[in-house]
Amino acid sequence: MSHAASSNRLVFDAGTLLLDFRLPASTLPASTLPENRASGPATKKQLDAWFGLNLWTWDHRVSMWRTDACYYGHIRQVLSTCDTRIIDEVPRMDTGVDTQSTSVLVTFAAERNLPPLRAEQIQAVEAWSTTRRGIVVMPTGTGKTEVALSIIAQCQTPTLIVAPVRDLMYQWHRRILRGLGIDAGVLGDSRHDIRPVTVTTYASACIHATQLGARFGLLVFDECHHLTGPIRADAARCSIAQNRLGLTATLGSNTQSLESLIGPVVYELGLQQVKGSTLADYDVIRIPVSLGTLERFRYKELARQIAQYVNERRQQQSDFEWKDLCSEAAQGSEASRIMRLYREKESIEDRADEKISVLEDLFRLHLGEPMIIFTGTNAMARQVSTRFLIPCLLSHCGKSERLDYLEGLRDGVYPALVANQVLDEGVDLPEVKVAVVLGGKSSTRQSKQRLGRILRKRGDARAVLYEVVAAETKEVQRSRNRRRNDAYQGTRHRKVRRRPDPS
Amino acid sequence: MLTKELAIARYVDGQILPDRLSRTKHAKYLELAEQMCQVYRAGVGSMRKSLHHEIQKILEVDPECPIRRVGAFCKLLDDWSEFDAGKPKKTAQLRQRVFRQAANLHPLVANVESILDRSEIQAKQQIAQSENMTWHELERQLFSDIIEHHRLIKFDSPSDTKDLLARYNVAQTQAALLDAKQMVVESTADWKRILRFAKLANLMHRIEPIHDGFRFTLDGPASVLRGTHRYGVQMAKFLPGLLSCSGWSMEATILPKGFAKHADTPWGSKQRWVLKLDANSGLQSDTQAGGQTDSGVEQQLIESWKLMQLLLEGARDLEGWMLIREGDLLVRGQRVFFPDFTVVSPSGFRVLLEIVGFWTPEYRRHKAEVLAAFPDTPMLLAIPQSLKAQWKNHSFSVNHRVIYYGQEVLPGEIIRAIEENS
Repeated sequence: MSHAASSNRLVFDAGTLLLDFRLPASTLPASTLPENRASGPATKKQLDAWFGLNLWTWDHRVSMWRTDACYYGHIRQVLSTCDTRIIDEVPRMDTGVDTQSTSVLVTFAAERNLPPLRAEQIQAVEAWSTTRRGIVVMPTGTGKTEVALSIIAQCQTPTLIVAPVRDLMYQWHRRILRGLGIDAGVLGDSRHDIRPVTVTTYASACIHATQLGARFGLLVFDECHHLTGPIRADAARCSIAQNRLGLTATLGSNTQSLESLIGPVVYELGLQQVKGSTLADYDVIRIPVSLGTLERFRYKELARQIAQYVNERRQQQSDFEWKDLCSEAAQGSEASRIMRLYREKESIEDRADEKISVLEDLFRLHLGEPMIIFTGTNAMARQVSTRFLIPCLLSHCGKSERLDYLEGLRDGVYPALVANQVLDEGVDLPEVKVAVVLGGKSSTRQSKQRLGRILRKRGDARAVLYEVVAAETKEVQRSRNRRRNDAYQGTRHRKVRRRPDPS
Repeated sequence: MLTKELAIARYVDGQILPDRLSRTKHAKYLELAEQMCQVYRAGVGSMRKSLHHEIQKILEVDPECPIRRVGAFCKLLDDWSEFDAGKPKKTAQLRQRVFRQAANLHPLVANVESILDRSEIQAKQQIAQSENMTWHELERQLFSDIIEHHRLIKFDSPSDTKDLLARYNVAQTQAALLDAKQMVVESTADWKRILRFAKLANLMHRIEPIHDGFRFTLDGPASVLRGTHRYGVQMAKFLPGLLSCSGWSMEATILPKGFAKHADTPWGSKQRWVLKLDANSGLQSDTQAGGQTDSGVEQQLIESWKLMQLLLEGARDLEGWMLIREGDLLVRGQRVFFPDFTVVSPSGFRVLLEIVGFWTPEYRRHKAEVLAAFPDTPMLLAIPQSLKAQWKNHSFSVNHRVIYYGQEVLPGEIIRAIEENS
């Protein structure tokens, strides 16, 4: 039988590990025999006692034990401590420390071009190196990328870097080329080029999780709070990589699951700690604008109809919530009409003409200073772009176009940029001190990241974030919610008196 | 295929019922489908955005029509269409030229207050002029490469507008399967095809015999470790193939939204929905229903067998014998083997008949592996005379017999070989 020859081995199979273990239980280390069944095949209880974890599941489809690939480090450690005659056929991804003939070593160009690390960055690298699995929490703009590059250089093992969006993926590609002299592979944006160092996005990493699982020894999750949800988590779960690094500015609510996938929080630097030293001080200025007469009228009518519907429903069902409306709307009926009204109401909040004229004033006020404008939707971003003929950075932009806009803003070729969420995270935008938010949702993370855009230190200049919100709408409330957030504490809030309307 | 964002379903008594447009309940959709196709047929040159707007207007006739159904029809119609993706490079270059020119005039203001202010209207006219067009034309071109602005080139109109509704119903069922954890198919026929489609969709199988056929449990490698909808996409891909088969019923276990959060709680692990479907559910597939035999020799055997029965009706030596094409299936782990025929003797003794056709070494090795995997199953191998030398040194199991054939496999020889050995 062909089975017999290859028995007693550990193999990688589509994001999982298969243990083909046909030896009698008597061959297990003596301490792991809670049951006295020395002659029969090993039971789950015996295997779990041996590995010290509830690890293995019997897969009767293939007649082998199966578990997630992410436990490989643990399994390997257990196997190395006793003579079991189990052949480990999982590809070797050892780091430079442990050199075996089968190892895949990644060597970086001798002349690395990494800037010297600041004290807090050194602390972060050292904290991670003690466990080689873990999350580093640092606010945007405090140099998470340098920390990661230093760790990548130190590990010398095939590395997969997972970024939230394509812009960031390409940014990692550039930073690795510049800092480590490596032309990394790209997986995503319709490219499928896997190399010893590869950059990818969360979407691609989870689609290809099962193929990528046995090809890397270090995983870097940029903005690692994205590694959530049962499928996304597979990007970490399906991999045998024993070195794992998570980077984020905000951990969010699911720390526990992130820690189980990546490792413990090994280093945390609060925003307040760095304000004033590494980052510039900043102001948050809220500018309320009123809607046009027609807009206001329509807005009130829409709000009234929606409220009336919700009230009626609450009378029938006291715990009726917004999400109930959404799910009912998916099935048609009256709720779907209300949903349409809600969308229209939202678009009034978003596109208020008055906001455009506030923007005009802000452009005048900050003439000569690079500015970034955030909008709530793509349509609004294009509207601003068409109105002021400033570049609009949307997901459809090709790589070279994006680069032209980002570098152009930095070099003063373009006076301003408008974007929706594409710019929300981590895209490097040096020297920007003025940002404007035109609409957007109240998510804590989003506003923190938006603040992060403008928090880069340059001389003694203070940074400003303007929030332009439509008065008499829900947006005012959202802006207030945002201000309760940690990121805003201790910042100044001003009301700007609007120029009297000529009409 | 539709994305989850466009899926519509009702949940009744533990069952998930994907949105389904029926001829009786949704009679007016026949006409609406015609109107929708008409929009696309007449819409060559229009922007995707405006086509979608038209579809929305058509469906507004039905006040019950959910927003997602509008989105789903737009997606299905787009799938039949070809759009001009614009000239992304040229358009990006145009944008860069325009924005660079405008940078010198920034900010373009509507309210000119001082002599230094640049009027929006004048600036735009000036820029448009340098591009040799009017501002109106320039504005139209500025974002012509984004998906919503792509223009329709061609619409592969379905021959029957009912196809759009049929496609919609299948697409909604597929969308429900995106959250599926496991699929169980019970079938009395077409096993080989079912397994072939499962294999194409990259699913793993478990097979059990049931009273008049087999039960196939389909999922993926990590499914034994946890309930995951990781393989839902593959099950959705498998569905059209299954729909083209006959004699089956299917039950898929669908994980509810947010199941992972509660997966470890006793109530969470029990929370699930079931999607039920069978060959008579009325869903139509555009996957072609094959069903032809693999080789000419097999076809010939079927014909001679029929002919013999016809000519020798009542003849003693054929009485009670049966020839069933792909009548049995042998399973060992993930290895499945469908012998070409099952021959049943009058006393009920079953012998599997496999016709060997090719001569390549790979083929021979594969066949030898299959035989080695099932040494206890009575099997009859029909090998061409011309390949006798190739198989001469093969050591067959005592349960495996060989007959050599010339032009065709003759029914009489099969019966003789079985009678000799039983």
